[in-house]
Amino acid sequence: MHPEEHREAASLEGKFSRQAVVSLLIFAALWEALSYLAPTLGIPAFAIPSFARIGQSLLTITPIDVLVTLARVIGALILSFVLGVALAVLMYQSQNLESYLHPMVRLFMAVPVISWILFAVLWFRGVEFRIAFVLIAVCGPVFLIDALDAMRNVPRELRRMVRSFRPTRLQYFAKLMFPAIVPNLITSWKINLSLAIRVVTIAELVGAVTGIGHQLAVAQELFSVADVFAWTLVLVALLFLLEAVVARVEERMLRWRA
Amino acid sequence: MAGMIAPPPIEVRQLRKVFRQAASGQPVVAIDRLDLDIAPREVVAIVGQTGCGKSTFFDLMIGLEQPTAGSIRIGGKTPYGDFDHFRGQIATVFQQDRLLPWRSALDNVKLPLELIRLSDDEQRKRSLFWLERLGLGNFAAAYPHELSGGMRQRVAIARAFVVQPNILLADEAFGHLDEVTAAELRETFLTLARESGSTAILITHQLEEAIGVGDRIIVLGRSARLLADIDVARWNKRDFAMLREAIQATLQNNERDFRLIRA
Repeated sequence: MHPEEHREAASLEGKFSRQAVVSLLIFAALWEALSYLAPTLGIPAFAIPSFARIGQSLLTITPIDVLVTLARVIGALILSFVLGVALAVLMYQSQNLESYLHPMVRLFMAVPVISWILFAVLWFRGVEFRIAFVLIAVCGPVFLIDALDAMRNVPRELRRMVRSFRPTRLQYFAKLMFPAIVPNLITSWKINLSLAIRVVTIAELVGAVTGIGHQLAVAQELFSVADVFAWTLVLVALLFLLEAVVARVEERMLRWRA
Repeated sequence: MAGMIAPPPIEVRQLRKVFRQAASGQPVVAIDRLDLDIAPREVVAIVGQTGCGKSTFFDLMIGLEQPTAGSIRIGGKTPYGDFDHFRGQIATVFQQDRLLPWRSALDNVKLPLELIRLSDDEQRKRSLFWLERLGLGNFAAAYPHELSGGMRQRVAIARAFVVQPNILLADEAFGHLDEVTAAELRETFLTLARESGSTAILITHQLEEAIGVGDRIIVLGRSARLLADIDVARWNKRDFAMLREAIQATLQNNERDFRLIRA
């Protein structure tokens, strides 16, 4: 990047983070003010808890539920990634297979998350299996389509160059295709991370006895907005943490970029 | 090393390649019954106008396309049918450098050696040697975007020579560079090709390049029809201007010039 552009980007980043802090502070101040004014406005006090009350709820967060949700998300994403990319490779190699599978994948992608959850509840017994099924059904096609499109977009010139050195099929994918599609796969991971966090929460809300989603269901049953707020904050923090990890991986893997 | 054992001869017999136009389905004859023999260690320039079938011939030579009829045989084997047999034996330099952007210069040069599964040490040693020969010893760790066009093409040349191939093919390899860099790289390529003892085939549309590089110039007309086959050694350097004019006239008329067909 040109030094001038670099400076511009850095200053924009600084501006953005300043704006973000300011907007968050305004939101927090409004929330806190509303929590004090709620009774005088005829709103029940529990509906808009103060930050002190939310802080108390945060102290009761059970790490095991956070870890369970994290493990479900990461496990299912890894499985979705492996299955999605493997199918993409097969479809890339066989036009016949692609013409049969592509419409099916598109159909899968059009099914709403809630339908997958209902199917999982109706079809399967094990809670973990149900959640994994829903996550894979939602995230797998995203990895598949992104990987397939990316492979198709590898420049013809590079494909011909590598083929002219006569690689085996495995070498062709290992030396050219996979490294070439890494940027797209990282983008897929980013998209799927936020998708998976949302989906796993809904799935846990409906049919699990552990995890953040389940704790949200409990908080809702107890009419504890402070607990809902606290668990939501944990979810957001979890997403930011995972995104930071992916950003770090991206930085390392794509350091060759200009 | 290719220089130790003579590379196999190349025999092109009644070679024909027909493509179908994607939109209309109409057949297009890219190469029509081409006959050609290339002796081991010969440096041959193939010249012709744009669209004459030079690049199709290049693809057929490296085995990326299958002939519609006829054959190319290299030491009795066909580049398309016996694809794996030629691993590490045929190397190419393309019009653009075609470096893998995620690999450093060193790793780009290593690529063909990885494919023939040499040991890591040997890969590194050989690649560094060729980068140094091409004057890029200090740029081994640089990524392609950090190098100039000429430097990138040097890496591409190193990548071709590193496998010590029997046959080197270059398709308009210097056409996109400025004149000075192109002349310099052409000279380097030629020196290295002669030193290595490989058979070298350079495809170009530039007459100056063809005359300056080849021991032999093959002039192709439409559908890769052989218009001239010139033994450059038989021409005095003073007569190169005349040779150039004769080739130009042959190309313009798309007519065979029997004075330019070597015995």
